[in-house]
Amino acid sequence: MCATTCDKIENLQRESSMRKGKQNPSGITIRTKPLWKRMLSCWPLYLMLLPAIVYYILICYVPIAGNVLAFKDYSFRKGIWGSPWVGMKYFNMFFSSYDCWRLIRNTLHIGFIKCILEFPFAILLALLLNEIRAEKFKKVTQTITYLPHFLSSVIIVTMLQRILAPNTGVLNQIIKALGGGGDTFFLMQSGYFHRILFTMDIWRNIGWDSIIYLAAISGVDQELYEAASMDGCNRLGQCWHVTLPGIRGTIGLLFIMGVGGLLSSGFEQMWLLRTPGNMAVADTLDVYVVRIGLQNGQFGYASAIGLIQGLVGLVLVVATNSISKKFTEVALW
Amino acid sequence: MESQHHKPMKVRSTPADKAVSVVTYVIVIALCLVILLPCLNVLALSFNDGKDAARGGVYFFPRMFTLMNYKEVFQDGSIISAYRITLARTFIGTFLSLAVTSFAAFALNQKELPGRGIIIFAITFTMLFGGGTIPTYVQYSRLGLIDNFWVYVIPSLVSVTYLIMMRSFFDGIPYELQEAAKLDGCGYFGTFFRVMLPLSKPVLAVVGLYTAVNHWNDWFAGAFYMTSSKLWPVQTVLQQMLSRAMSASTQQTENVAAAIAASQSSVTTDSLKMAAVVITTAPILCVYPFVQKYFAKGTLIGAVKG
Repeated sequence: MCATTCDKIENLQRESSMRKGKQNPSGITIRTKPLWKRMLSCWPLYLMLLPAIVYYILICYVPIAGNVLAFKDYSFRKGIWGSPWVGMKYFNMFFSSYDCWRLIRNTLHIGFIKCILEFPFAILLALLLNEIRAEKFKKVTQTITYLPHFLSSVIIVTMLQRILAPNTGVLNQIIKALGGGGDTFFLMQSGYFHRILFTMDIWRNIGWDSIIYLAAISGVDQELYEAASMDGCNRLGQCWHVTLPGIRGTIGLLFIMGVGGLLSSGFEQMWLLRTPGNMAVADTLDVYVVRIGLQNGQFGYASAIGLIQGLVGLVLVVATNSISKKFTEVALW
Repeated sequence: MESQHHKPMKVRSTPADKAVSVVTYVIVIALCLVILLPCLNVLALSFNDGKDAARGGVYFFPRMFTLMNYKEVFQDGSIISAYRITLARTFIGTFLSLAVTSFAAFALNQKELPGRGIIIFAITFTMLFGGGTIPTYVQYSRLGLIDNFWVYVIPSLVSVTYLIMMRSFFDGIPYELQEAAKLDGCGYFGTFFRVMLPLSKPVLAVVGLYTAVNHWNDWFAGAFYMTSSKLWPVQTVLQQMLSRAMSASTQQTENVAAAIAASQSSVTTDSLKMAAVVITTAPILCVYPFVQKYFAKGTLIGAVKG
């Protein structure tokens, strides 16, 4: 198979537009045809793609364009495009409102707990599981720790509400048995809110999130462990000097992905855990958008807040990614 | 994933290593207990007489065993019809998702497809940025999805993560197999159905399970896109019960206890809820151990290429 110079140039051009398309002998003969012919010969593929493309246009891209709602005084009768423009009105309204800084503070607090504080726990569990040599025990442990991931937020909060109930809930009963009062209304006091959220998240996600780290650990070169052990590293040392550096890439990628959710994490839990008692800390941007948008019908205002969230999320991911790329060479793209 | 990790070459456990071992086992066992005990408590409560449970003191075994809670749930017409909705959306939704996703993943895996890079970029971009809650709602209402059963199925038809997972899985199938099929005169559809699908059982199982669980557990669509409670799935019914309880929790607990004591029935809302929780969760727990062996593979594929 000897390609002419002309073919090579054409291939190079196509290569750049096709993003890492691997070369194969049959590919070269197809590529020399004009574009429309190549497209025509692929018609069954376009047919297969059609439902997904229609889905992404109607369900994802039209709402992205619909973000202009943030600049419009929406009326149902006139539709998005017929409604009058109001410029930055809703943005000004939001930033000058009494709720604004409280909401942002609450959101950042929750985001910090979810994206930063909770982050290392799954790695820790993966490291622990990696130290366990008894295969059967390990398997049972994994089955148990993955389990909560499959329970819905509604189920978990329903369980939580029962367990944390004052006087009759298990936790209060235990406190009572240990000599405490046993009548704490955990869900009604804002002071307990973040602790409840944190515990609930760890309980639910630690096992599931550890899977990916376990998989990454199993890919670490075994000879490194042998070398480390020759150098006199004990197991703790091997963990620190071999395993952790070995899964650095995975940790970095997951962190970058997590950072994008800083401003929009955990709507379901926040919505379900809200009580009149903890509203002061449980009201986040997500909750607020649904409250004033879907429940009170202030579409334009709610869209503006949603747009701010989305854009900040995008900027955060892009920024973290490029910083990480520069300093650690770990990057999503 | 198992059996690959290093075995110590020489049995040369230092005291420090032994300490690490002990601490590891203690932490892991404690974690398992912390995860299991709340579930056991709920299970015990669901089998316990409601009035009796309201006095407190039921931990991990029912004190006054009864099946009344379950009986009540099954006699409640609205819960039964909600289960029907949940089952319908789970089956229809999962089937359609798998079909659309695997078609798209196969097409996007063909290197000769013009425009492949652009389409992949456009699809992946939706992971980073999307329409907010409100523009999405407006679009659904324009499509006539509000108060329509299909709002459970269509918005979650394709997910970028699962699409990438499937595409990576297809990537791992030797290309020669597809080429051989094409030489044998199979078109793209033939290659897909006769070669790729039969080889893709693991990825179909994993993506199918994830999708099914998402459908089974979703309450949001029912709560916000469905005004008529007749079409609510069971999770939305539970959510409405929960939110009533959460906002009513300002009342003095004594009043609640008194109301329970005064009522004739031995079944309380609480015990009923516990039974509903168990019934709703049981099917997932029955299926998932069978698919567990594919999890590690699935997550890894999704992450590496994601």
